[in-house]
Parts: sequence; C-alpha cells; structure tokens
Amino acid sequence: MVFDILQIGGQQDILSTLVSLIWLLLLLSFFLYPGFSQRIQLSYILRDLERKLNKLRIIDDDVKDRTLKAFQEHSEPNIDVKNELERLVDSFIISPESMDPYGIVYKLEHIVNTWEDRFEEDVARICSKADPVKVKTLTNLVEVSRGVHFIYRYVRHYYLLGKRTQNIYLVLQMQMLMPQIMEIAEAYRQASYAFAQAQPIGDGIGALVVAKLVHGLEKKTYEIAKDTIVHELELDGRKLLILRASGPGGTVGRPGEGIVKLIESEGDRVKLIITIDAGLKLEGEESGKVVEGVGVAIGGTGVDKFKIEEIAKAKRIPLYAIVIYESITEAITPMRESIVKAADKIIEKVKQLVNEKVEKGATIIIAGIGNSVGIGVT
Amino acid sequence: MFPQKPQLNRFIQPLTHLTCFSCNTENSRPFKDGDYVFKEVEEKCPKCGSTKMLITGIYIEERQLKERER
Ligand SMILES: [Zn+2]
Repeated sequence: MVFDILQIGGQQDILSTLVSLIWLLLLLSFFLYPGFSQRIQLSYILRDLERKLNKLRIIDDDVKDRTLKAFQEHSEPNIDVKNELERLVDSFIISPESMDPYGIVYKLEHIVNTWEDRFEEDVARICSKADPVKVKTLTNLVEVSRGVHFIYRYVRHYYLLGKRTQNIYLVLQMQMLMPQIMEIAEAYRQASYAFAQAQPIGDGIGALVVAKLVHGLEKKTYEIAKDTIVHELELDGRKLLILRASGPGGTVGRPGEGIVKLIESEGDRVKLIITIDAGLKLEGEESGKVVEGVGVAIGGTGVDKFKIEEIAKAKRIPLYAIVIYESITEAITPMRESIVKAADKIIEKVKQLVNEKVEKGATIIIAGIGNSVGIGVT
Repeated sequence: MFPQKPQLNRFIQPLTHLTCFSCNTENSRPFKDGDYVFKEVEEKCPKCGSTKMLITGIYIEERQLKERER
C-alpha cells in the first residue's frame, strides 16, 4: 500500500509527492499514537471553552461596572465603593448541617435572614444617599452581580482544571453545559439593567396581580412581616387578606412568616389559601400561560413553602396555586407584554375561586409571590 | 491572532404606560428613571390636557421584541 502511494507520487511532480508524504505521516500518526485524535479534540474543545469564558468575563465586567456606577451615584465621595462592592460580591453563605435534619428549616431561615439583613445594612451604609426603597433594589443588583461572578468563576475553574490535567471528559461535560450557562449569564446581564433602573421583572407578576386586584378598592393596609404587607378588604361578603412584598423597592418579603401570623390572628375563619407566582415553563410552552393546581406556589430557599404547608396542614386549610409560565430569562428581565396580559385572567380566576370554594363570611388569604421591584403599593 | 470581541445583546428598554385620571386615555412613552407601576405622575394627557396621570404598566411590548429579532 505504501509503495502504491509513493509510486503515484513518483509519477507526478515533487510538490504532490510532498503532499502525499504529509498525508502518509498524518495517517501513520493516527495508527501509532492512539490518543492523537483525542488530543486534537481536546484542544478544539478548550479553544471553544476559552472563547466562551472570554465572553463570560466581558459579561461579568459589564455587570460589575453597572453595579459600581449605580452605587457611586448614591454614595458619599469619601467611600471606596469599588473595594466595598468587591467585598460584598465575594461574601458567602454556608448552609446549615443536614446530618441531623430536625429543625433545619428554622436554622436555614435564621442564616438566610441574617444574610439578608447584613447585606442590606452594608448596602445602606455604602449608599448613604439612597432612600430605603432604592437600598432594596441596589441590594438585588449586588445579588445579580454576585450571581454572574460566580458563574464566571465556576466556568474558569473547570476550564483551567481541564486544561492543566488534559482531562477531555471534564471539559467535554463543561462544553455540553455551556449553551445553558451562557443563556443564564446573558439573562443576569439583562437583569442588571432592570435592577439598576428599578423596572418590574417577570418574577414580579404575582405581586402585580394582587396590586391590580386591590387597586381602587376600599381597604386597610399594614405591614405583617419585614418588607411584607397585607391589604384587608371585603369582597362579595368574604374577607380577603391579600399579602405581597412591599414595593416599589426590590424585595420578595417574608410571605411564610406573614401567612403564619395572619392565620394565628384570624383563627379558624381562614378557609382557603391561594398563592400566585411565576413558574418555570418547559421549552416550547407559551409564556404567560396561566395554570392552576394545588400546593404552595413559591420558590426561594423553601423556608416560606415549609411554613405555609405546615400551618395549612395543622389547620386543614386547602392550598390552591396559580402559576404563570415564564422562562428563566423572562423571570429576571423586564416584564413582557405576554406576561402582563396574564394578570387580568388571573384576577378573574381568583374571584371565581373565592366565590365557588368559600362560603360567605369566611376569610381567604391570597398571596402574590415574587419580587416587587418597580411595583408600587396601591 | 487576536480573539474577536464577542457581541452582547442589546437591552430593550420597556415602555411606561400611563392612564389619564380624568378621561381614562392610555398612552405610552419610554421608561424614565423613578417610574414605577401605580405611581401618580404630573404629566400632560395628550388628549384632554389634564396633568394627572397614573402609571398602569411598565413592560416590553411584543413588537419591540420582534424589532430586535429583525
Ligand atoms: Zn386625559
């Protein structure tokens, strides 16, 4: 076979002989060096990862710049905002030990609450010129910045580790995840614009629905837990307790604690709890689609969900849930028309549920779950 | 060989939708800093000239999304 190839080369000019020879060597290298093709593949994947990592770094810098600018606008000139911000972005939270899970929800709640309070205090101290509403939104902005920075660090870790150890399986797994990771990073970048300007985001649809529901109605409004308010009103002979995060600052409030307090003060009069929240849609599903179910529609750490389920079970109160489908990007970027349009449909559904499921004279708790950034209290 | 600078997506500014207190006319304009849903603003109604409007929505319209895709 080898002679054949050389013979063909010999019949033609020197250049094609050379080309044939290079081909031959290349072919031989695949036979004599079994890892050769893998080597080529590895370097190809690493190059692809490097390109994406580079884009992630640009996204990370972009979000950091935006956060820094927003902070500088609200801080005194003698404060080293850049340094303080870096400290916040690098800070961490350690989840509680789960070896003995008894009481872990309350430990988690304690840690998360401490974290939130400390974070907000730090932001308020750095941005001393910002009002409390702005402080909440700026706190959200730092969280976005932290999220993007974590993604960048995570990808960089696996890229460098894979490169150093020449581990194709490691970088291959990373490469497979990259499309979704890039999409999330880009969503975070868009979210940083929204929070920097305090615009309502898709996740806030729950809060928006209840704000629209009570708008223009006679009611009593008070704070029930930190950043959590309740509107008390009468509708068709039933008492409605409508709970949401207090806007227009960016916060999700403490709906779990709020609902527990409401049930404790209302006693056995509460006959239904309805939670309204944005939920992740599956690929191919339509954004803004409204679906109904049972249970507690609420995301986050799980503390609020646990508390509501626990008290509802003890008091035998049915749990109804209404979910609005959104993608992860839609949930953290400015609200879209398709999602806003769902609000009126949900209000009709809630009114229908109240009339059908609960007798006159009873109390219903309706919780609009989600971030209240850019959604004022009516 | 220099790595080319990757292109980042443009951010679409949402529109602020306002409703007039006296004639209920709805109109929209680009989002301005300080806007939030259910804020009462002193802006002139394009129809009746009243100066009290309520912000009833802040969102990205479908046509804005379509424009970007193009
Ligand atoms: Zn008017």
